[in-house]
Amino acid sequence: MVPPEYYLVLSAAIFCIGLFGILTRRNALYFLMSAELMLNAAVINLVAFSFQWGNLTGQTFALFVIALAAAEVAVGIGIVLVLYRNFGDVDVLNAATMRW
Amino acid sequence: MVSASAYVPAIVLLPFVSFIVALFGRENLPKRGAYGGIAATAGSLLLSLWVLVSVRNGAAFQETYYTWATGAGAQDWTLTFGALIDPLSVLMLVIVSLVAMLVHIFSLGYMNDEDERDLPRYYAGLGLFTASMLGFVIADNLLMAFMFFELVGLCSYLLIGFHFREPGPPSAAKKAFLVTRFGDYFFLVGVVAVFTTFGTAAFAGAESFPALAEAALNGEATVWTPGGLEVSTWFTIVGLLILGGVIGKSAQFPLHTWLPDAMEGPTPVSALIHAATMVAAGVYLVARMYGFYVLSPTTMAIIAFVGGFTALFAATMGVVKRELKQVLAYSTISQYGYMMLALGSGGYVAAVFHLTTHAFFKALLFLGAGSVIIAMHHNEDMWDMGGLKDKLPVTYWTFLAGSLALAGIFPFAGFWSKDEILYEALIHGLDEPLILGAYVMGLLAVPVTAFYTFRMVFLTFHGEPRSSLARDPHPVRWNVKGPLSVLGILAVVTGGINLVPVQKVLNIEGIDYLHLWLDNHWGGIEGLSSHHYAELDPYSSQYLFGGEVPTVLAGAAASLGLAIGGLALAWVLYNVADPDEHTDKLGGLKELLYNNYYQDEFQVWVADNTQSVAGGADTFDQGVIDGVVNGVSSVSLLSSERIRRIQSGVVSNYALLLTLGLTTLLVVFGLIGGWF
Repeated sequence: MVPPEYYLVLSAAIFCIGLFGILTRRNALYFLMSAELMLNAAVINLVAFSFQWGNLTGQTFALFVIALAAAEVAVGIGIVLVLYRNFGDVDVLNAATMRW
Repeated sequence: MVSASAYVPAIVLLPFVSFIVALFGRENLPKRGAYGGIAATAGSLLLSLWVLVSVRNGAAFQETYYTWATGAGAQDWTLTFGALIDPLSVLMLVIVSLVAMLVHIFSLGYMNDEDERDLPRYYAGLGLFTASMLGFVIADNLLMAFMFFELVGLCSYLLIGFHFREPGPPSAAKKAFLVTRFGDYFFLVGVVAVFTTFGTAAFAGAESFPALAEAALNGEATVWTPGGLEVSTWFTIVGLLILGGVIGKSAQFPLHTWLPDAMEGPTPVSALIHAATMVAAGVYLVARMYGFYVLSPTTMAIIAFVGGFTALFAATMGVVKRELKQVLAYSTISQYGYMMLALGSGGYVAAVFHLTTHAFFKALLFLGAGSVIIAMHHNEDMWDMGGLKDKLPVTYWTFLAGSLALAGIFPFAGFWSKDEILYEALIHGLDEPLILGAYVMGLLAVPVTAFYTFRMVFLTFHGEPRSSLARDPHPVRWNVKGPLSVLGILAVVTGGINLVPVQKVLNIEGIDYLHLWLDNHWGGIEGLSSHHYAELDPYSSQYLFGGEVPTVLAGAAASLGLAIGGLALAWVLYNVADPDEHTDKLGGLKELLYNNYYQDEFQVWVADNTQSVAGGADTFDQGVIDGVVNGVSSVSLLSSERIRRIQSGVVSNYALLLTLGLTTLLVVFGLIGGWF
């Protein structure tokens, strides 16, 4: 059996990749993908602990998160489309009109 | 059987509802708000009469309706709204609601028939005025009384300034508001003093402040006094502070100057203010907390002296006035002076008696004056009138009844009440020089009152018409004659509720109904009876000519003789076809009287010379109080100007801030929680 530390390290690594993507990329589609990575990093944690303690709650929760992620992508794609329509680009730095 | 006590709040709320209806219904209402007001005050009157009957059957009570604040910690004070229904307050309820209803009906003739504009505002004001006064009457504690007292003041401001498009009324309204507010300032300090001293402001019961004050003077209880002051001295100071409000509202010297100017308001409003509501509030307050005032001989003597002085002082000014309502205004001040004289000299019942009779005959006189003013097309100068007797018979006869009552002629209502006041002042004053002085001034005011009253009657109704208006007066309708007739009858017969002199002279028991009524003969609240007050008051009774009956007769003969003397003088001088302005013969004195002893000028002078104080207060307010508030707001303005820069609109920055924030939180928790 793989000890849970390995899963945690994997999850933390995927999360950091997602975070890095969000902080550095300018393309909104990368944003979506990075957010997806961060969500799944959290799901790995849930599944790992569920496996560790022999409790199915975490896995059930993982299924919910997958459904949620699908919905999130649908909304996210819609936002990206609107972004493109309004600013002619999917660069998030262009869409900076809502500020002080 | 439903008990009447459950409906006591409705007495106050009905006129309040009429106020709300008139306020929002505007011009769509039947008769532009008048019917609503009449219905509401008639409802209040019926309920008041019902409560009167139930109190007659022994159902006086005190009830707390709503507690809106309680003390925290060791202090156990509470601030409440409640009703105190005892013989005194229920009598006042009936008077106020009756006069208010008649004033509403009269307004149909005075305002609606004359096509005044903006009438819903007028009826809204009348409704709120009546509601405030009724709320003040049922108040069971001093703070509630104070709040309604202020509301009454506000309503008087609104109503006196009703014709705000003309120059006079707004300025008169402002003056009434400011002058009474000056007195109320002391009243407020007095309320706070009562709270700190006794921890309660209730009027009735074993835990009420008059009862605690009595116990403290007997050494049975301890109360807080500032700086270890003598208890009796402190009670005198507190009593005088509250008296400040009374002097302002009841228009006693030196705060009487607002009342004659308040004549700028519509005449029915004058009737309401001077007969039943605002001015009566002051005297009623002293009667309400009489158990506290009788404990302090100094305060009592001051009340009596101020009252006696005001009675004479105001009466002299009434002699020279040209305008009908001005004469009535000074007579009001003078009559309230009598009531204060009675209260100060231990004549609690006499004061309430005069308050009752005066409410009726003065409302009658004001409404009668209103009728004359309608007839004269709003000319108030008595020198333009004359000969109205035959053209306005109902007005004339009722006005005559009111005038005979005001002058104190036997057997009209005013005779009995004024005679009893003077009698009380006399028997209690023989040992007390201040009370005796007040009595003498009160007695001197009697012929003056009779003189100016009948000068007014003769100039208005007798002789030849002195202008084209008086030759062809505008007729008045039922809605003017009806209220006048009701009050005219009351002005004749109200004296019958308290025929003390008859009882004493003829030795018939039990016809002094008002004495029995206020003495809790038919039930009342413990500690609020005239008997109890008589035990507490500092006076002893002395009789002249060796007995009670000769004293009664001598006192009555003196006041009646003087009144008839004044009347006779007025008759000789003014009951002729074409009277001269005899007051011109007074020369400089007339000028002095006509200008009210230059009291107004004096007050303006005082105000001008204390501007530096007001300026200092203004500087403090603008600089320190407003400065703190403005400082707080400018600090947040400046800092928000800087901090809002972080809202850049770039979504990556927000993500970065979120991440940094989370990291910082984790590090902080880690450090505190000892994870590292």
